[in-house]
Amino acid sequence: MIEIDDLTVLFGGVRGLNALTANLPEPITGLVGPNGAGKTTLINVLSGFIRPANGSVSVDGKDLKGIPIHKRAAFGIRRTFQNEQVVENLSAADNVAAVLDNVPTDGQPRRALIARALEFVGLGARADVLGRNLNAYERRMVEIARATVGSPRLIMMDEPGAGLAQDESEHLRQIIRNVHSYCGAQVLLVDHDVDLISATCAATLVLDFGSSIAYGPTPDVLADPKVRIAYLGVAEEGV
Amino acid sequence: MTDRSLEGVSLAVSSRLPFREIALCAGALAALYFLPSFLTGYWLRVLISVAALVVASLSVSVLFAQLGMVSLAQFGLLGVGGWFALRISHGMGAPFELALLTGGAAAALVGLVVGLPALRMRGLYLAIITLMMAGAIQVLISAFGFPDGGAGILGKSTGARVMMARPFLAQGDPAYFRYAVVIAALCYLLVLAHVRGRPGRAWAMIRRGEVCALAGGVHIVAYKVWAFALAGFLAGIAGGLLAGGVGQLDGSAFPASQSIMLFALTIVGGAYSSFGPIIAGLLLRAFPALLNELHVDGNIATMVFGVGLLHALMTAPQGIAGQLGDAFRAVGKFFKGNGGTAA
Amino acid sequence: MPDFTPFLVSGLALAATYVLSAVGIVVLYRASGVVNFAQGAVGALAAFISWSIVERGGPESLSWLVGVAVATIVSLAYGRLIATRLVSTDPITRAVATLSFALILLGFMGYLWGEAPRRLRLPTDTMSFELLGVRVTLTRAIAFGLGVSVTAVVMLFLSHSRMGLQMRALASNRELSAMLGVRVFRIDGWAWVISGVLAGVSGVLLADLQRLSGQALTFAVIPAIAAAVIGRFASLPATVAGALAIGVCEALLTPVPVIGPFRSATPFIFAVGAMLWMQRKPVFVYR
Repeated sequence: MIEIDDLTVLFGGVRGLNALTANLPEPITGLVGPNGAGKTTLINVLSGFIRPANGSVSVDGKDLKGIPIHKRAAFGIRRTFQNEQVVENLSAADNVAAVLDNVPTDGQPRRALIARALEFVGLGARADVLGRNLNAYERRMVEIARATVGSPRLIMMDEPGAGLAQDESEHLRQIIRNVHSYCGAQVLLVDHDVDLISATCAATLVLDFGSSIAYGPTPDVLADPKVRIAYLGVAEEGV
Repeated sequence: MTDRSLEGVSLAVSSRLPFREIALCAGALAALYFLPSFLTGYWLRVLISVAALVVASLSVSVLFAQLGMVSLAQFGLLGVGGWFALRISHGMGAPFELALLTGGAAAALVGLVVGLPALRMRGLYLAIITLMMAGAIQVLISAFGFPDGGAGILGKSTGARVMMARPFLAQGDPAYFRYAVVIAALCYLLVLAHVRGRPGRAWAMIRRGEVCALAGGVHIVAYKVWAFALAGFLAGIAGGLLAGGVGQLDGSAFPASQSIMLFALTIVGGAYSSFGPIIAGLLLRAFPALLNELHVDGNIATMVFGVGLLHALMTAPQGIAGQLGDAFRAVGKFFKGNGGTAA
Repeated sequence: MPDFTPFLVSGLALAATYVLSAVGIVVLYRASGVVNFAQGAVGALAAFISWSIVERGGPESLSWLVGVAVATIVSLAYGRLIATRLVSTDPITRAVATLSFALILLGFMGYLWGEAPRRLRLPTDTMSFELLGVRVTLTRAIAFGLGVSVTAVVMLFLSHSRMGLQMRALASNRELSAMLGVRVFRIDGWAWVISGVLAGVSGVLLADLQRLSGQALTFAVIPAIAAAVIGRFASLPATVAGALAIGVCEALLTPVPVIGPFRSATPFIFAVGAMLWMQRKPVFVYR
C-alpha cells in the first residue's frame, strides 16, 4: 500500500510534483503520463534521491521521511532502472548477492535465496556468468532478481519494457504478474508501453504536470477522455 | 574511472577454485623459498625491503582498483606503522608479530582519523588531503625520529641504537626474507578475502555508481572507510616489516615525495593486477639500488618514474602488469591458432 | 611574550607568495578543470634558473625575469602537449598527471642542482625601509604588493574582459563553450600561461624569502592548494583570504615554543577545517 499525501517537489521554480495525493493499494499499479509529468520524480522520492518540499509518502503505513536512502532497500523499497545498473565485473549471482548483503534474510541460507531469485527470472543457468557477458535482457532480469530478494515491500520498475523483442516482452509480463505471489511485494510500473500496462496492471495512476489526472482500473483510465487528450492522443474527426 | 577493476586477474570471477592460479602461486612461493641461497647479503637485504614495499604498494592498489581512490600518503602511513612497531618492540619487548599488528592498527587509525573528512567528498579532495597528510607525517618523523631503544614517549636512545628484535623463527637474513614473503602472501590473502566477499561486492556497486550502490542498500561512506582502514593497516604492516628487515628506520627517509613515488609506481606496475604491486616494489627499491651499483644519479630514477606514470595515465592504465598480461594472452592465442572461440 | 611584529611582516610576505600560487591554481582549475600539483615545482624551476644565471655572472636584475619566462614556457608546454591529451579523462587522472609532471621536474632539478642549501638573492633584498618599528626589505614589500595587485588584476580580468568571460564559460561547461564558438584551445593555453607566470613569480619570491630547495619549493604547493580548498576552487576572494590566513598563521607560530617547529602543518589544519565546514550539511546530488 502506497499512500501519497499532498506531495510537492520543486526544482527551482518548476513544480516536479504538484500537491500530489493518491492511494495505491493494488498489487500491480501502473504509472503513466507524458514526458515531464513527474513519474520518475515520484519514484525518485520513493527511493529517497529527491527530498520533497512538502507533503509525505508512506509505504505499508510507514512514513518514508526519516529513512536514509541506503536503508530503504532494507526497509523493502527496491527499484530497477532505465539505464541498468548491473556490475560488469561480478557474476549474476554476485550482483544479486551485493543487494542481499544489505537486506534482511530471516535466517535463510543466502546461496539458496540467490539461486531462487535467479530461477524466478529465468537466469538459473546463468548464475556464474559475468555481468559484462550478459545481454541487455538478461541484465534487466538481474535487476529484477536483485529487487525480489530479501522480503521487499515495493518494487518500482522504470521502463523495463523498453527495446524488448516479442518473446522477451511476453516473458517480462509473466514475471511482473508473478512478482506479488512470489515475494509478496507490490509493483509500481512506469512505462510508455500502454499494452504492457494494460496486460499487467489492475489499476493505473496517470500524471500530468506533476498532478494526478486519473486513477482507477486500467481499462477505465485508458478510456478516460482527459487521459486521451493529455497522453494518448485524440482521433481526428472524420478520419 | 571506468569499471576496469581486476582486469586480467582471476580473483573475483567464479565461485569455483582457480586451480591454475593456485598452482602458479604455489610454484612462485616455492621458488622464493630457495632464492636466498643464490643471493649475496646486499641483494638479499634489498629483496627484504622489496617484500615490505610490495605490501605498501598493495595498499595503494586496493584503494585505487576497488574504489578509484587516490591516496598519496601510504608511504607516510608505512612510517607511522614502523614507528609504532619499533616503539612496542623496544619499549615492551613485545614479540615481533604483536609489534607488526600494532603498527598495522596504528597506521589504520591515523589514516582514518585524517582521511575521514575527505571520504565524504569528491575523490580529488582525498588526493589533496592525503598529500598534505604525507607532508605532515614528514615533518613529524623528521622532527621526532624513530624509536631505537630509549625510554620516554619518543623512545630515542641516548647511547647506542638498538636494532629491532626479529621474529623468533626468523633471525637471520635468509629466514627473515622467507618470513617477509609469507607475511606478504598473507596480506594478499587478506585483500582477496575482502574482494571476493561482502566488502568487495559493495565496492563494486559503489564503483558502478552512487545511485546503484544506494538503491542496493550500500552505505557508501562506511565502505570507503573500510577500504581506507584496510589500506592503512597494510601500509602499517609494511612499515613493521621494513623496520624488522633493516633493524632501524631513518627519520629522513620519509619525505612526502616517497608517497607520491609509491603511488606512481603502483600505477606504472599495474594497479588492477596482482602482479602490479610486485613490480612496483621492485621498481621502488631494486631499481634505485641497481642505479647505485651502476653509479647513476638517483634523481634519474625519479624522472623515469614520473615519465612512466605520465605514460601509464595517457596510454595504458592497466600498467606494466596489464600490458604483460595482454602480451601473454596474445602469445597464447597465437599458439592456440584461430580455432578457439572468442574470449 | 615574544614580539610578533617582525613575524607578522615576514608572514605577510610569505602569505603573498601563497596568494600568487593559489590564484594561479584556482584560475587554471576554473578554466581547464585541472588541479595543478606541479605549481610549486614549476616555481622551483624558475628560481633555480634565476639562481644559475646570477651564478654565471648574469645580470641580477633580469635573472628573475628569465626564470619566470622559463616557468611560463614549461607550463604552457605541459598544457598544450600533455594536458590536451587527457582532456577527456576524469579530474583525478588529470590531477595525478600534474603530479607526475612534478616528479619529473623534481628529479630534473635534483639531478642538475642537488639539494645543497642555497639562498636566492634578489637586488631588492638590500633595499629596505622602516614600518611599525620593523625593517621591511623591498623584496617583502614587493611580494606583498604583487599579491594584492595581481589578485585585483586577475579578478578584474575574469569579470570584465572578453577572455575572462570566455574562461568562466569554459569553467562552467567546456563542451557547450566549444559549441558556442569559444576558442577552447586558445583560452586553455592562456590559462596555463597565467598559471605559469604566477608559479614562476611566487617560486622566485619564495626562494628568496625562505630557501632555494627543490623539495621545499615543490611542496610549497601544499599551502597554495589548502588556500584553494578554502575557496572551494571557485571563489578567488575566499582563496586569497585563506592564503593570507595560512601564511600569517605559519609565520606567527615561529617563535611559539613547542608548536613552532611544526608550523608547516598549518595548511593541513586549515584544509581539514575547511573540508569539515563544507560538510556540515549533508547534500546528496542526484545526477
